[in-house]
Amino acid sequence: MIEEIKELLRFKDLLKQLVIRDLKVRYKNSVLGFFWSLLNPLVQVATITIVVKYIMRLDIANYSAYLLVGYLPWVFFQMALLDSSQVILMHRDLIRKVYFPRELLPLSAVIANLIHFILALVVFFVYLLVYRIFLHGAPIMASVAWLPILILLQTLLLTGLTFVVSCMNVFFEDTKYLLTVLLNVLFYLTPVMYVSELVYTRLPHAHQGLLFKLYLLMPLNMLTEAYRKTLLPAFHGVMGGVPIESVPLDYMMLAVCAAICIISAIGGYAYFNARKWVFAERI
Amino acid sequence: MKPVIELIDITKVFDLVHHKQTTLKAAILSFKRIPPQKLLAIKDLNLSVPQGEALAIVGKNGSGKSTLLRIIGRVYKPTSGTLTVDGRMSTMLDLGAGFHPDLTGRENIFFNAAVMGLSTAQVRDKIDQIIDFSELNSFIDTPVRTYSAGMLMRLGFAIAVETDPDILLIDEVLAVGDAAFQEKCYDRIDEFKTAGKTIVFVTHDLDAARAVATRTIWFDKGEIRADGNTQEVIDSYLTTVPAHHYQEKNQ
Repeated sequence: MIEEIKELLRFKDLLKQLVIRDLKVRYKNSVLGFFWSLLNPLVQVATITIVVKYIMRLDIANYSAYLLVGYLPWVFFQMALLDSSQVILMHRDLIRKVYFPRELLPLSAVIANLIHFILALVVFFVYLLVYRIFLHGAPIMASVAWLPILILLQTLLLTGLTFVVSCMNVFFEDTKYLLTVLLNVLFYLTPVMYVSELVYTRLPHAHQGLLFKLYLLMPLNMLTEAYRKTLLPAFHGVMGGVPIESVPLDYMMLAVCAAICIISAIGGYAYFNARKWVFAERI
Repeated sequence: MKPVIELIDITKVFDLVHHKQTTLKAAILSFKRIPPQKLLAIKDLNLSVPQGEALAIVGKNGSGKSTLLRIIGRVYKPTSGTLTVDGRMSTMLDLGAGFHPDLTGRENIFFNAAVMGLSTAQVRDKIDQIIDFSELNSFIDTPVRTYSAGMLMRLGFAIAVETDPDILLIDEVLAVGDAAFQEKCYDRIDEFKTAGKTIVFVTHDLDAARAVATRTIWFDKGEIRADGNTQEVIDSYLTTVPAHHYQEKNQ
């Protein structure tokens, strides 16, 4: 694996070109460029806010901020996986004709989406500032310093998953359909629309603590939790007349999550490397 | 001279994939696995190409020529055997492989040169030479999807040669250019040879092989049938090709 990484570094300019190309092609011929990619999450967030806050009556002050802070990482997760499922087939010509480290393709899908994510976070912070200044909203907290670490962990997790997904789709073209279904389910299982404290209160009391730890063992659940609790202050909510109190971040589980993300990256890379030279014969 | 390309006991076996089997459903439901059919494309091949040689590979369709070129170009991994390549390689295995239709010629130059292992800074130094050689000055900032086959070939060849590789691999693509540009390509290939660089190319154009190659191999059913002096190898190859066919092609 060390040799493979060395070879990868030799081709770092190709990675840069792949990412630039991805971004250019995506926004070619559209004047609003980046803002189109932002419009979709913003409309989604507005819709979910109306449904959850006014129809389902989960009453959390400044709910859309808590939603957005979970939704932006979700979009990163979803888009990187969907893009990577197609990335090998999209570069069929290149793979069949030229040598280069194949892993650059899924990596470029992750990095292009990471750049979107970071730009979206910038917009998110502008929103927080505006809210803070004009509407006395939540202050920006010192724990924002965690953000680079959380982004790194999510990127590692995604790198591993995209290696597996991009590779599987070469051998089983149903992978992309299966992935769409799984992502749809996962969106509701991840505490994006709701807060994990709500899950906690619904767990059977006998093993509440243990079951909740199991719930946080899902790396995306833990990461969503961590984004929410480091970027925004503790919330006070009410649902159906019952108060919901914010629980502090479980650093122990965050460490476990970090380990899972690292294992994901290494394991995914090993899986991909074992199969990457067969792509040229299969596609 | 020391070999820059060396193949030792190279064998390549392909699994013929039946398309019905590649769905997940089929993989789960097919209890009795049909063993994949094997295709032996290259058998125990030993080949050593010294520095400065221009090697032509001739042979019938399906003889394994292109597979051999792709193994040298590290697109395919051999099933067994070892390949050593010493030096930076430029490959031109297809027209416009790796060009993105929506990006301009200039943007595609940066991308394609990066595929060949060049850094962005190196490309910046060479981009004017590449554009000049391709003679596409007035089209270089239009999307590649508007290019003709000849223009794609010119751009591809310009990138392949002007990035100054040690080894050049070409698979039957020069035929697309017009006579004047072909002439220019052959001149460039001559310069390449005098500079002591190595060229390996697959061709059906036997005149091109005669003009360029310092050595020719005749590849047949995954094996070298003849190897050596270009004229002699081509003559013996022609004895297996129906005479009228070749004359027709020559007219």
